Amino acid sequence: MTNEAQSVAEAVVGEPAIEKQPFNLLVWMSSRGIFVFTTVLVVVAAIFIDGFASLDNITDVFNRAAPIGIVAVGMTFVVISANYLDLSVVAQVATAAVVLIAVSNESNIPAAMALAFVIALLYGLVNGVAVGVFKANAVIVTLSTTFIGLGILRWFSGGSIYFGPQDGAIRSFGLAKIGPFPLSMIVLILMTLILSFVLTRTNFGFLVRSYGSNRDATRLAGVNTAWVVIGAFTITSIAAMIGGFVLGAFSNTAVSSMSTGFDFRALAAIIVGGTSVFGGRGSVLRTLLGVVFVSVLTNIMVLSGLGFGVQQMAIGALIVAAVSIDSLARKASGT
Amino acid sequence: MSENPTTETTRQDAGGRAIIEARNVVKRFGGATAVDDVSIEVAPGEIYGLVGENGAGKSTLMRVLAGILTPDHGSVVVDGRELEAGSTRAALEAGISLVHQELSLVPELTVAENIVLGTTPVQAGFIKKREMKKIASDALEEIRVQVDLDEPIVRLSVALRQFVEIARAIARKPRVLILDEPTATLTPAETDYLLDMLERLAGQGLAIIYISHRIPEIFRICNRVSVLRDGHLVDTVSISDIKPNEIVDKMVGRELKQELETSRTKVAAGDVVLQARGIKAPGVNGIDLDVRAGEIVGLGGLVGAGRTELVRAIVGADIKSAGTVTINTDGTMRRVNSYRSAISHGFAYVPEERRTDGLALTMTVSDNIALPNRSQLSRYSVLMRGKIGTFAKELADAVGLRPPEIQREAGDFSGGNQQKVVLAKWLGRKPDVIILDEPTRGVDVGAKVEIHRLVRDLAEGGTAVLVVSSDLPELLDLADVIHVVRDGRIAGTLSRDEADEKSVMSLASGESQVRGL
Repeated sequence: MTNEAQSVAEAVVGEPAIEKQPFNLLVWMSSRGIFVFTTVLVVVAAIFIDGFASLDNITDVFNRAAPIGIVAVGMTFVVISANYLDLSVVAQVATAAVVLIAVSNESNIPAAMALAFVIALLYGLVNGVAVGVFKANAVIVTLSTTFIGLGILRWFSGGSIYFGPQDGAIRSFGLAKIGPFPLSMIVLILMTLILSFVLTRTNFGFLVRSYGSNRDATRLAGVNTAWVVIGAFTITSIAAMIGGFVLGAFSNTAVSSMSTGFDFRALAAIIVGGTSVFGGRGSVLRTLLGVVFVSVLTNIMVLSGLGFGVQQMAIGALIVAAVSIDSLARKASGT
Repeated sequence: MSENPTTETTRQDAGGRAIIEARNVVKRFGGATAVDDVSIEVAPGEIYGLVGENGAGKSTLMRVLAGILTPDHGSVVVDGRELEAGSTRAALEAGISLVHQELSLVPELTVAENIVLGTTPVQAGFIKKREMKKIASDALEEIRVQVDLDEPIVRLSVALRQFVEIARAIARKPRVLILDEPTATLTPAETDYLLDMLERLAGQGLAIIYISHRIPEIFRICNRVSVLRDGHLVDTVSISDIKPNEIVDKMVGRELKQELETSRTKVAAGDVVLQARGIKAPGVNGIDLDVRAGEIVGLGGLVGAGRTELVRAIVGADIKSAGTVTINTDGTMRRVNSYRSAISHGFAYVPEERRTDGLALTMTVSDNIALPNRSQLSRYSVLMRGKIGTFAKELADAVGLRPPEIQREAGDFSGGNQQKVVLAKWLGRKPDVIILDEPTRGVDVGAKVEIHRLVRDLAEGGTAVLVVSSDLPELLDLADVIHVVRDGRIAGTLSRDEADEKSVMSLASGESQVRGL
């Protein structure tokens, strides 16, 4: 562009400065809220709730949170790609746990892990192809693959519970600590760091964000979008597998019904963390914060003697509030 | 220089008895201000013209009046009473009916069902069919259009759909009727019919707000006219106090008009780079096309003639049913058989719908620019952030992005600056062929000048340029040769010397056939 064109343009339209957006509480809550809320919640719990700030309690919170957290950081990819969520993580987590314990009882741990890995890739491929290539609705596809997966699992296991040997390697992994920290917590943090790097720094993560922000524009930039979707589902599946390993190792037992509610709880962490269900906006670190928020909130309710019913109700209400804020904030910011 | 209209007008001025007023309306989208402190008032029986370039804010203002958009500031007043902001129901109850620019009919429903849609007469949950048909036939009679009430909308011509749309507005017994570019898809005869109808309706006391690009229509029916530019109300004048060219000056801004008219120095065009043969696709009935290196080929025609479908078929964004596309560069000829092969062989495509197809609005400008250029910006699949920053900054400067803040989300920028981002991301690939579909629609005049310059620079650098535009002055200004498309075929080809508004329009509308030109 030449200077005269610029000067002519400026003479007429003036400098088109972007106006500073006025403060909007909803926009603030969806973009910055989680950082403040989580900090406040932890501080309040530490001061007012008896037994919260003990090492045993914190360890317990993380042991419970780790499997769901690992699933959630993986599933963040599907949510950011604007494909809502992967419901089939319920089947995937249980399958990975059952395969880990049942197959290593029969043969050995590496064989069990290898089989679980192949199954995870299959889940990612089937979900990804149906959604990314055939453009089927992600919710219905993954609801169906949950049915297929749980069906196969129950068919093979006959609904039985598998126990690992009391002195086995799986058991010792499940109970292992590094310093004061349980190993499951280390796995969660490692997964968060790795997936955060993938999402923010790699070509693939960039395409997931771009696809989630505007799939048509991404396709028209010459991107093979089917692979982006398959990749997002595959990452979720691998995370679900690792989550299943951690869950199975911690309890040293596995049964097809052990991961009920994982889909919703993972989604709760993602949405509360501030990742938008409309796609494009969000991060893996936010999901980790969401996991902490939801887990601490649940822990507070447990320590205050509130029953499971109340906890369930509170998490449900939290999600309705979070998605509504997401939606309103999006409207308010005009995009 | 906003002078009050004098008493010389043929019909009444709004004076103190305005039926509808917009008071200091401001509407922003993200960071862009689409309507900036605009006030207008319209009296019963008046036909009020609203003109301005694409993106001047006309449609946004009308959507505020109809309660579809909530203004950020200001209000809509009907009969001296302030209307609930952003409520379509309140607007409808106050008697405001909007005939949309994009048709808003449901294609699968019948004419009658569409006319009553939203106000369907029901009893105990059942549709009262007889009453529905009565309402529909009354409305059609009012505008004197005959069409079978049970015909589904899909089976009607575009023009008939437009009239059904108007019947739908009339069925709501409006006191204010707003029409947004109702003649864009009509033939001259149909336009005549529509204008007569509006004059008759105004004679019955209806207040009409009429948006059009076509200045002669404004002069034929309007009492007063307001000119919008870049969201500002430039002037409101009585039609008897102004001449057509003065309106155009106000629309464009006098200084820029000259700028827009500077014609391109003809470049010696090189070899044929883009060759399309026998292209067929839905809406495209067999088209051959060549574009040479350094040449700007324009595609003119009416909306719906098949131009967008043609370029999408050529570049492979939509599937074509027949035809071949080849790109010839560096002495090699390569077939284009998919969108991705087109892009990798050196095509760039700037789509018609910038917001839905061109940009990821929630991502930064930098990310948007990086998107098609990833291969040169990453190593081992890891993005090189520093390199992306410099790369995007360079291109943002080259297209004159304002403000030049590449870390802001694309959605924060004005339409013109968003379009510059779309151009920047493709410039980074140094394309051999660039296809631009309505490159300056909804863009302010300043950005338009800059975008035109960029397109010319590309051509001078040897890129083959194919541009679709409904903006005739733009097409005449940019293109070395214009193919006019009608009904999915090329109706005629005009060289730069032969082309003027008349010759393009007569080919586009099929007028020349009738007159045996």
